[in-house]
Amino acid sequence: MPYRQDMPPAGGFGALKYKRNLPFRGPGSFVILGGVTAICTYGFYRLGKGNLEKRELQREKIWSRIHLVPLLMAEGDRDAYRREQAAVAREKEIMKDVKGWEAGKSVYHSSRYRSPEIVIL
Amino acid sequence: MSSFQAGSVQTNDYVDPTPLPDHIPKVEELGATSAPLKSAAFFIGAYCKDYNEDFMLCKAENRDPAHCLKEGRRVTRCATDLITKMRENCLQQFEAHWNCLERNNQEYYHCRKPERTLNACMFEKLGLTKTIPGAPAGQPIHEVKNPYFKSVQK
Repeated sequence: MPYRQDMPPAGGFGALKYKRNLPFRGPGSFVILGGVTAICTYGFYRLGKGNLEKRELQREKIWSRIHLVPLLMAEGDRDAYRREQAAVAREKEIMKDVKGWEAGKSVYHSSRYRSPEIVIL
Repeated sequence: MSSFQAGSVQTNDYVDPTPLPDHIPKVEELGATSAPLKSAAFFIGAYCKDYNEDFMLCKAENRDPAHCLKEGRRVTRCATDLITKMRENCLQQFEAHWNCLERNNQEYYHCRKPERTLNACMFEKLGLTKTIPGAPAGQPIHEVKNPYFKSVQK
């Protein structure tokens, strides 16, 4: 076998890639920080505004109920009065033979009204 | 082992058919359900303010149901009067609003559109406005154009 010196390829070797290869990897830290801060600020602004609005909605709901209280209470009072009178009449009928019995008399020495504790179903 | 045990709690309804005593004047109960009442609440508050306040002052005097029957009748008559007037003048708007409340968990903020037409009609025909006492100055919550809380579905 004849001797053969190993030589570079014809036209020489290609250029060496020695330059740094750093592709763009998104926005920088300050941009991200600023962006997050901006988004959070907007979010908290909306949250605050929403809380104020929620308070007003609650006020609206409460007042709608307050306006209905007298109406519903009047109806309930008439019903309670009717049932009380019926109960007193029943008691009078049952206890008519007992002397000195006062039907519907409160067991307390107080003029404060108490709703009946006993309800006969 | 398995014998019938009568419960200790009655399950009967608390029904008493005895009518009111005759010396109490009769008044027709309003009979409206919750959604129409909620729809009309602010108008009842505006229209029947005097009667309502009178009744509540009377209740503050004494909690006995017998004490404020007269004031209570006035309150009920006034509310019946208002509902009748509402139905005469703004029936369509009223029904649209309370049906909307019925469908939307009875939340006002889901039903601003029918509410505004009802408010406009009530102001035009009966001169009643919806005002929320204690609300801060500026736009009241029911007139905000672009609120934060609204229905997801339009």
